[in-house]
Amino acid sequence: MADDKDVLRDVWFGRIPTCFTLNQDEVTEREAEPYYLLLPRVSYLPLVTDKVKKHFLKVMKAEDVEEMWLEYEGTPLKWHYPIGVLFDLHASNTVLPWSITVHFKFFCPLVAKKLQYRDLLHCTSNSVIEAHFMSSIKEADALKHKSQVVNDMQKKDHKQLWMGLQNDKFDQFWAINRKLMEYPTEEGGFRYIPFRIYQTMSDRPFIQKLFRPVSPEGNVHTLGDLLKEMYPAALPNDGEQKRYQVVIHGIEPLLETPLQWLSEHLSHPDNFLHICVIPTPTD
Amino acid sequence: MSWMLDEQSFCHCCQLLLQWSQQLKDGWSWEGVQGSEDGYLRKTVLRSVVIDSSPVWDLEGSGSQSDTHTSCHSRPDQQGQETEQALCVAPEDGDSVRGDIDDDDDDDDDDDDGVCTVSGGSGQVLQYEYHILFSCSYGTPVLYFRAVTLEGRSLSLEEVWSSVHQNFRLRLQQSPLNTITLQEHPLLGQPFFMLHPCRTEEFMRPVLQAAQNQHRPVNYVLSWLSVVGPLVGLEVPLKYSTLLHPAASLGSTEPD
Repeated sequence: MADDKDVLRDVWFGRIPTCFTLNQDEVTEREAEPYYLLLPRVSYLPLVTDKVKKHFLKVMKAEDVEEMWLEYEGTPLKWHYPIGVLFDLHASNTVLPWSITVHFKFFCPLVAKKLQYRDLLHCTSNSVIEAHFMSSIKEADALKHKSQVVNDMQKKDHKQLWMGLQNDKFDQFWAINRKLMEYPTEEGGFRYIPFRIYQTMSDRPFIQKLFRPVSPEGNVHTLGDLLKEMYPAALPNDGEQKRYQVVIHGIEPLLETPLQWLSEHLSHPDNFLHICVIPTPTD
Repeated sequence: MSWMLDEQSFCHCCQLLLQWSQQLKDGWSWEGVQGSEDGYLRKTVLRSVVIDSSPVWDLEGSGSQSDTHTSCHSRPDQQGQETEQALCVAPEDGDSVRGDIDDDDDDDDDDDDGVCTVSGGSGQVLQYEYHILFSCSYGTPVLYFRAVTLEGRSLSLEEVWSSVHQNFRLRLQQSPLNTITLQEHPLLGQPFFMLHPCRTEEFMRPVLQAAQNQHRPVNYVLSWLSVVGPLVGLEVPLKYSTLLHPAASLGSTEPD
């Protein structure tokens, strides 16, 4: 039987093989070769795509370069979402490698409508990513521990969480993160579970509400209980075919899985459980 | 003891605020989200400001432009003193400046405000849009806002800093989690600026405690708004306080 700690490693080291191709409308001095990269599911695009940028900048003239932004089949990819979430939400069940288009010009007829979101498509520096990451961790701890654990940490501990993510150092990260995963034994779990449920069927980017891991009567809440409360449409009706898949880190956990266990083992480094609800493929 | 708001009390405070806003013609509306019970308070304001969007450096002179938070917009004038170029925020309605002298010159609604006199640089008319949402993680309201020119161009974070009063700017920039950042609006998905909520409980606690000690009614959202609104140019007319007292409008204050 797999040790629970193995799950932590599997989550951390999850990778998505990706092929980056330059948008055809970009003005280039010569043909650009596609660039292949294994993307960490738990990281963020601007943190790991420097090489992609450098590769394509080689064939471009400086004056044609604005900010790099990325798109998949007409959907611009928001930089502040974990990479694994973007893939599960938009490209699950498709043939690998994940084909991402690289843009350097902001205007693009294909995605013109979505460019009102342009400010969410690129970020200016790593410190912006760090601020976003730490802000998520603090928000998660506000839910789990009324911020007590994260506030009791020293600045260097916060820094270690970020450096662990940035440099892909599992042990360095978890040396501190394990404290964020503790709870008083008499409680049975965190105060509330930090989660976000994503879907692409409406404009609302995600659902996030208060939800306890254990009911007042002492019943352990499951993934199914969470969905029943927050997004009942995601669950199949009795006897009906399953219309939606509920995906976390590229897999469909059993709906009977205890939410507390999921929060401790399948959260992203930002301490949130990111859950994608996607239509079941029809073929 | 903690003074966290719960979602129901938040909605209740908002509904009260909405009623008073209607009486004062202060322009707030409630926007629901399709398919759910969630919603937010919304208000738009036209304002004439001087926008300084050219490269800047911060007052400490560290000169970095790629900081997480943008720097102040002060420029040394010829004498080498720093002059405030950007601030020019007109009050939303006369009441907050003139007191309650005239109610009847509110013929227009909220969208025509005073145009301020600008000492240097060119003024632009901008439309600011403010949203008040509830953060269940922090148990507080959160202020989201964005600004567009009349041609529909959205303002960058640098430009938005220009419209934050200088008295507040330094304080906001010094504490990264108490500052203005660009975020995805949790209900609409569009980019909005947000004032981070994690310190709200800290400043609300003495307000709520005092109100409880003195047996005064308090509307959490109104009190909170009167603190954070002015940071980003959103005035809260004093007249709200006269409407608050007659009704026994107790906010959320449930010590935890």
